[in-house]
Amino acid sequence: MRSAGTIDGITALGPDSATRSPTRRRARSDRPEPGTRPLALEPARCCICGTRDAEPVGVGEDFEYRTSPDSFLTVRCDHCALVYLDPRPTRAEMTTIYPDHYHAFTFTEDKFGFVYRVRRRLEARRLLTAIGKVPPNAAILDVGCGDGFHLELLRDFGQPGWRLVGVDLDPRAADAAEARGLVVHRGTIETVDLEADHYDFAILIQTVEHVADPAAVLAAIRRVLRPGGRLLIVTDNTGSLDFSIAKRRHWGGYHFPRHWYLFNDDALRRLASHTGFSVDELDTMVSPVNWVYSIRNALDDWGAPRPIVEWLSLESPIPLAAFTLFDWCNQRIGRAALLRAVLRRDPE
Amino acid sequence: MITTGPEISTAPVVVLGGGIAGLTAARELLRNGLDVVLYEAGPSVGGMADSHHDPEGFTFDTGAHFITNRLATATGVYEQCRAVESYGETVWLGGRSYDYPAGLLRVPRFVRAAIAERTHPRHGSATSAADRFRREFGTALADEIALPLLEAWSGAPATELAPAVADKIPSGIAQTVGLKLAARLTHRAVAVGYCQEAPQSANVWHVYPERGISAVCESLAADVADSIRLRSPVEAITVSDGRAVGVRVAGREVPAAAVISTAPINVLPKIVEGTDALERFRAFRFRPMVFVNLRLQGRDLLPHTMTWTPEAQLPFFRLTETPQAMPWLAPEGKTLITADIGAEIGDEHWSMDDGELGERCIDALVEIVPSARRDYLGCRVVRAPSAYPVFHLDYELDRQRLATSTGVDRLLSIGRNGEFAHILMEDVYWRTVRRARRLARELKSGAPVSV
Repeated sequence: MRSAGTIDGITALGPDSATRSPTRRRARSDRPEPGTRPLALEPARCCICGTRDAEPVGVGEDFEYRTSPDSFLTVRCDHCALVYLDPRPTRAEMTTIYPDHYHAFTFTEDKFGFVYRVRRRLEARRLLTAIGKVPPNAAILDVGCGDGFHLELLRDFGQPGWRLVGVDLDPRAADAAEARGLVVHRGTIETVDLEADHYDFAILIQTVEHVADPAAVLAAIRRVLRPGGRLLIVTDNTGSLDFSIAKRRHWGGYHFPRHWYLFNDDALRRLASHTGFSVDELDTMVSPVNWVYSIRNALDDWGAPRPIVEWLSLESPIPLAAFTLFDWCNQRIGRAALLRAVLRRDPE
Repeated sequence: MITTGPEISTAPVVVLGGGIAGLTAARELLRNGLDVVLYEAGPSVGGMADSHHDPEGFTFDTGAHFITNRLATATGVYEQCRAVESYGETVWLGGRSYDYPAGLLRVPRFVRAAIAERTHPRHGSATSAADRFRREFGTALADEIALPLLEAWSGAPATELAPAVADKIPSGIAQTVGLKLAARLTHRAVAVGYCQEAPQSANVWHVYPERGISAVCESLAADVADSIRLRSPVEAITVSDGRAVGVRVAGREVPAAAVISTAPINVLPKIVEGTDALERFRAFRFRPMVFVNLRLQGRDLLPHTMTWTPEAQLPFFRLTETPQAMPWLAPEGKTLITADIGAEIGDEHWSMDDGELGERCIDALVEIVPSARRDYLGCRVVRAPSAYPVFHLDYELDRQRLATSTGVDRLLSIGRNGEFAHILMEDVYWRTVRRARRLARELKSGAPVSV
């Protein structure tokens, strides 16, 4: 969720994210300097079929933040094509793997200037297109709303009668969203007290890959959507060209160790079906971010000079523009960097 | 929360042996929601993946081991590892060394013979390892290098060994060149031809734990600590109606949902009661090895990390100077060369006094390292009674059958010795993980266990 101006990643982690397996012995309460202490890890399983039948795909490190000295493994489910991190950090490690300087906490107009403004326009258009026809007084829910970036777009560019509500676990995020004048429920979608069968539309933008149990999150969203209500999901695409090229280690979409479940169209369809949704729309969406970060990660890993590595970032319009154009070509063949799905709540 | 479903049997799965295979199986079964008890005969875990630390500051394994960053990650020891910066092999022949494999192309007779095999291919499929090696490499290279090495390693004539001994990890020339190039560019010893159970890539390279290879099993053991019973040799595996139903430990019968053995496959029939389905595995042989770890003054004494020595006048067939790849395994200014000697239990080399073995190795080593006598500091010897499986033609069909089943329901034989396979640590790991998952699936469904 690097490109989301939110802190969605830590917001939708359910209270049951810890599995029953014992945590590693190296988990300790003392915390040495950031980056030197190995994380406490726990085994994971496919959130759709519930098995651990999976084959290794990639192995990599936290190239971007170096929050720990660990190496991480991604595997692909034999049954569902879902790619997931196994093992993954325990819940107790959230504050370590999402440090205060995590980009999503600091994606502001002051810092990102031109890129921020361009993205705001693009995102507004995409959002409104996805939402399409809803009643003038529609209730719209942003799950993992972060600092309110998307809700604010809806307020500024959408219908004045829309009732906009956010959900976020992180107090830093909720405070920021409220400062924008938005309504935010503090907690996870599984735990906050929201009216059932109420919302016309929900959005889950670059969040589903961060959560401990995507199936539980979708089930909770389904509960609060009215029958026929829709859900927009945007997430990194493991059916993309950039994944094919960089999946063994450097793929930006891995975002080690913060992206726990990664989908291609097949896996997302399975998740939808498993949680009582039908698929209205499913296509790919242009994003330069994973391209830029895949290259950045490789250069960083191979010890390239720092200025070159640093130049490849969200603050650099030139590589972002170049890869936007390139990924636009990939979109023509259905292999752009992001997956975008609009799901519809099935009748009971 | 995802649940794992109801269990069919309340008895635990019993695992015999606390090496990498047994520990991996136990951990994966636990992670799949099964109860597991692991019995280890010795006072500690590790098995063949054990490390020795001598008082002089040297670290060595039971034979040199190499793992990858991927295996280190999967087993939770990555942060204890250092990257291996370079790794290479040479062949010592006629008083000089040749890089393996490219350097051998400089020898005209090898090239001529290899071309002759390609231009005049033999009919039919290979009937023995000797036949297959001659077809693949040409007669000259096979007879001078491959077959002498194979025979020293196996302790049997190459004409009596199965062609399958030459099975190798498929890797195209372009891929190999690409991986070697990646190794140069990244300054990492990219693993080439090391693992067949997971993909090769420029991003999988050799690493090694600071404190030796035993770190791998220690990490796995920590994850399954509650399931491990040390000093608990399994006296018998009970089979009833063609199905493994329990084990006997210290005279006590323990029921089991399934039994997973890591014992050498030729030992398994001796402890299984209630069936003779495993009798055919008694004939399988393992080649014992004597590993002579020579301590020397100096560093980088061999042409590269590993040197193959096919010539018969040398008592060893392979030399490995691990500190070339892992400098921290020897004190500064010193090095360790491990000489691999194929043996039979009770033969001359197996029974020889350690000091005398060291002297014999040093006498031979001076041909390759002229200063070896002067720089020799002493040795430590490790003897492995079941080091390598011998693919003898006498039991080749039974060996192929073992790849699919032991012939007893709910009795699995895993790991390098249990599978009777030429596989290295990472292959052992992934194969074992897969088999454990399949067992878990079949136990939960109540289906016959065919793995």
